[in-house]
Amino acid sequence: MNVLLLFLWKELRDVRRNPQLLPAYLILPPIAIFLPVIITALAPQIMQVDPNDPAMKAMARIVAATPEFQGYAQDEAITRYFLRNVILLFFIMPIGLSSIAAAFSIVAEKQQRTLEPILATPIGDQELLLGKLLAAVVPSVVLTWLSAAIAIALVDIISYNLYGRLLLPDAFWLIGILGLAPLLGICSVLAAMRLSAKSTDPQAANQMTALVIVPVFMLGIGVFGKVLSLSIAAAFGACAVLALVAVLLFRWNVRHFHREEILTRWK
Amino acid sequence: MISAAGLSRRFNGNLAVDGLTFAVPDGKLFVLLGPNGAGKTTTVRMLLGLIAPTAGAAEVAGIKLGGDADANNRLRSVCGLLTETPGFYDRMSAWENLRFFAHLYQIPESGRDAMLERHLKAMALWERRDHLVGTYSKGMKQKLAIIRAVFHEPKVIFLDEPTSGLDPEASLMVREMILGLKGQGRTIVVCTHNLDEAQRLADLVGIIRQRLLVFDTLANLQGGANQPLHVEVELAAPWSGQLHVTGAELVRRSERRLTFQVTDAAQVTPRLVSALVAGGASVLAVRPQARDLESIYLQSMHNELQP
Repeated sequence: MNVLLLFLWKELRDVRRNPQLLPAYLILPPIAIFLPVIITALAPQIMQVDPNDPAMKAMARIVAATPEFQGYAQDEAITRYFLRNVILLFFIMPIGLSSIAAAFSIVAEKQQRTLEPILATPIGDQELLLGKLLAAVVPSVVLTWLSAAIAIALVDIISYNLYGRLLLPDAFWLIGILGLAPLLGICSVLAAMRLSAKSTDPQAANQMTALVIVPVFMLGIGVFGKVLSLSIAAAFGACAVLALVAVLLFRWNVRHFHREEILTRWK
Repeated sequence: MISAAGLSRRFNGNLAVDGLTFAVPDGKLFVLLGPNGAGKTTTVRMLLGLIAPTAGAAEVAGIKLGGDADANNRLRSVCGLLTETPGFYDRMSAWENLRFFAHLYQIPESGRDAMLERHLKAMALWERRDHLVGTYSKGMKQKLAIIRAVFHEPKVIFLDEPTSGLDPEASLMVREMILGLKGQGRTIVVCTHNLDEAQRLADLVGIIRQRLLVFDTLANLQGGANQPLHVEVELAAPWSGQLHVTGAELVRRSERRLTFQVTDAAQVTPRLVSALVAGGASVLAVRPQARDLESIYLQSMHNELQP
């Protein structure tokens, strides 16, 4: 078995039996699945509540000004617009779950004192880092993809009944779910790994992830999400930038990975 | 073969290990004795290439320390390590844990499971192989860790406190296993506080307190040539005479028993017996008393602490 798959296998076994980590994997997906479904079902009625509401008018202006939404009836265009925004939940999932998994993994390694036996094996630094990275990212990305597939199927059932066509996946959802979501997960884990190596104890590593990594990525999504959701080109550009950031973060991790630091700094 | 020349390590300016120089030939068992914080674990970590020395050089199994990443990985592939605490994934079974580490040591899949079965049976853990390691006792974890240290058939094995936490029966089993590994020609380094265990296992003994205070074969330390030694003389009848033999000093006297400290047992003991007989003593038995490791250890620590 490949070393990367080996770490993934180990992590999956560990997560499955970890009562602290499992709730995070069980809570986020239902929210991410049902929000787009509810929005698809209720969007046509939202505009009818008060068409003169300033927020509604502003939204209608954005939708009307976005070339991709033109040619659709207002209800459908608004629904498509909401679905663009709600995809952010599927970005939060890999960031949150991957970072939590990475932090828990590091804490568990230290508490169970498994780091030294691993570092004493002939595994290379790059393999070890890549193994830990994939073990943290893959489960959350797979869960994100599964949740997205369920959400898409449910949204399409409703939208077919309402508009006679399938709304998802559109180009943006494809780029977002298949490209942006995994890349965001990878970048957040790599940032968490680098910061945790600087920490002197596992609790500090965990807090660093909770208080720095997740909020910073969330803020990034909050600031840029709106722009990305309105332009396919911007979404492609974001993928390219995140891929570059991921490569740079990985190289930074490899360059600064010292077995000695892990063995002697952590108390 | 393990050799070190002036091996030293500082942490934030504090000297943890100072100028270790020693050589352990292939197939020998080297026991490193020392109090907590003496530098035993740091020494082992340096010899495994896990931390870099700040000065000096060392070679383990023909691989020089301080090489590139490939050299370090080659070094680790020919070495086995039993860490001070066993270190397993508590939420995985013993079988899953061993398979995980077997992969990391690149043990070929063919025959791997049979090898693990053999080791688990030898350690009496086969029946519990599917239980989570978190449910294991400390002794069971220690046995599992010993399997992990040896299952890839390393040339050099580092064992940090191998019988720590084990009951007497398990300790005996582990000691027998260590001697079995030595019998297979493997070079073994055992770090321990346990002087009795050291005495039972060692070919070579090192006493460390940042620097190496003592390094010699156990036989030499316990009274080989040129070593001071106690010689006990048992008499058939009370004797109250006096005698002066160069190199022998009477340190204890009872009615029928005399204890001398001799500077060189091989040279002095025959002259001592002749002098006693010439002085009218009825010598019934002469017993050279090997110094035990405890007295050697305490003496070296005492000397080190003298201003």
